Amino acid sequence: MLLMLIIMAVFAPYISPYNPYATSNNVLSPPSLTNLFGTDSLGRDIFSRVIYGTRTSLLVGVIAAGISAIIGILVGTFSGYYGGIIDEGLSKVIDAFLMVPVFFLILIIVAIFGSNLFYIMLVIGLTTWPPNARIMRGQVLSLKERSFVKIAKSTEGSDMQVIFLHIIPNGVYPVIANSALQMGGAILTEAALSFLGLGDPNVISWGAMINDGTMYMTYAWWTVVFPGIFITLAVITFSFIGDGLQYVMNPKLSKGVAEIESS
Amino acid sequence: MQNMIKYIFRRIVAVVIMIFLVMTVNFFLIHAAPGGPATVMTGLEFPSKEIIEALNKQYGLDKPIAVQYLEYMGNLLRGNLGYSYIYSESSWNLIEGRIFPTLILTITSSVLAFVIGVYMAIFVSRLRNKYGELSASLLSYILYAVPSFWLALIMIIIFSSDLKLFPTSGMLSLRYSYSGIEGVIDFIHHLVLPVSTLTLIQIPVFYRITRTSIVQNQGEDYITTLTAIGVPKEKLFRKYVMKNSIVPPLTIFGIMLGFSITGTVILERVFAWPGMGRLMLDAISRRDYQLLLGIYFLMALFISVAMFVTDILIAFLDPRVRLT
Repeated sequence: MLLMLIIMAVFAPYISPYNPYATSNNVLSPPSLTNLFGTDSLGRDIFSRVIYGTRTSLLVGVIAAGISAIIGILVGTFSGYYGGIIDEGLSKVIDAFLMVPVFFLILIIVAIFGSNLFYIMLVIGLTTWPPNARIMRGQVLSLKERSFVKIAKSTEGSDMQVIFLHIIPNGVYPVIANSALQMGGAILTEAALSFLGLGDPNVISWGAMINDGTMYMTYAWWTVVFPGIFITLAVITFSFIGDGLQYVMNPKLSKGVAEIESS
Repeated sequence: MQNMIKYIFRRIVAVVIMIFLVMTVNFFLIHAAPGGPATVMTGLEFPSKEIIEALNKQYGLDKPIAVQYLEYMGNLLRGNLGYSYIYSESSWNLIEGRIFPTLILTITSSVLAFVIGVYMAIFVSRLRNKYGELSASLLSYILYAVPSFWLALIMIIIFSSDLKLFPTSGMLSLRYSYSGIEGVIDFIHHLVLPVSTLTLIQIPVFYRITRTSIVQNQGEDYITTLTAIGVPKEKLFRKYVMKNSIVPPLTIFGIMLGFSITGTVILERVFAWPGMGRLMLDAISRRDYQLLLGIYFLMALFISVAMFVTDILIAFLDPRVRLT
């Protein structure tokens, strides 16, 4: 499924039968052989627009979750590795951040600073890192006690080398699994924002397409139904990946490995 | 008991820090906005300097930002949520009537989702049927991934526009003003679609967390021991597994209320529901900063109080929490 989405995003110009921006006189026509998913209120082909929309959604998912993962990993690692006051302070911040109603914060920031796709990705990334930090901190706390890290501490030159060569590469997997789930979340957030009219008006977004269709939905259901199906599919895909990864590295399994290593 | 008091105190500190953080971040965000409130108030693209100055003076916007910040914080502590420039009315007066509609959607749907999600997990676990489990988890994946606003639109298409069972929007009928029992029925009639949409999207979280904890509890050593002794499975499940499995979904109830209020804001737009969410979206499009801050503050407060109450409740139910 992920492969299908990626193919749709990369080869969008070759797959889509029409130019997604081209308007026509064929307004709000129902799905047919010429327009697979019908046309919208400006006569644009919905099938082509859905395909181009994949690009926006995947981009938002990957970049936003990427930013969130990087910040989360760094904050979590430093907090767990150094402990003491740094850990106390950072943990308090993480705890407080976990309670902040994130979507409203994103809503307000986007409303104030403008709805550029880049801002949207950045803001989603900047507001969703605390869970990653918490996971990473837990990882670091357990890694710190393992013998190979203790050996590395005495052989490597600096703390930075220990952190970047030994701790992060070994502890990062649960964060990656969580990131896959967050990609789905970011896609939903972007869709909701553009549905509320706060998305980037210059890109084709599934949420914005649904918003456009709302006015006509009672007699042109296809304007609303198809983009929504694709949002759902994209998010399900990322949930499967995230859960799959989590299943592969379930704690019991990794505990077994730890025991072998430390003995 | 001493642990308990300590625990409560720690939670209160966390709540206070969080609220302070939220308000500080928001205040500076909003004042960093391009244009500034005075420009927006004039309704002109390039207002003259004189108008801006007069407006700035009238509303205290000419003071240094630090002073404005302290004044704002001081006002909040006294329960004053600020003043809406656009409506020329205090924010509280505007928000007051919107609180009930939003809370009733949020709380009703969370409670329903909790009951349905937990029950579904228990039902599936009792069934011990591979296909039952598979279809339940597939359903939870789908409901998790569906965008709330889209689900709402689909519900409207099916139940309002095609079957004409429920009204498409609003909280009360405008054409007739019912009173007494008829008014209540009319209100519930309008409530059905928004609440069921919100409930549906929250079910998967409760379902999955309960299901996981049931599976975990069933694998515990004491369960194996009791089975070996010969305690009937049915009794074992009712008496031990279920009791222990109910705690995890409860712990996330507070977080889910926060999630639920987000969904409510979006759905209020779809269903034209006269709650805080629509007021918030209006405030955003009109750049009504003070009103926006006021609404955001109330929502943050609501969420943190909800989390606080659930945390305390959990601490009473599960003594392990207090000690960590």
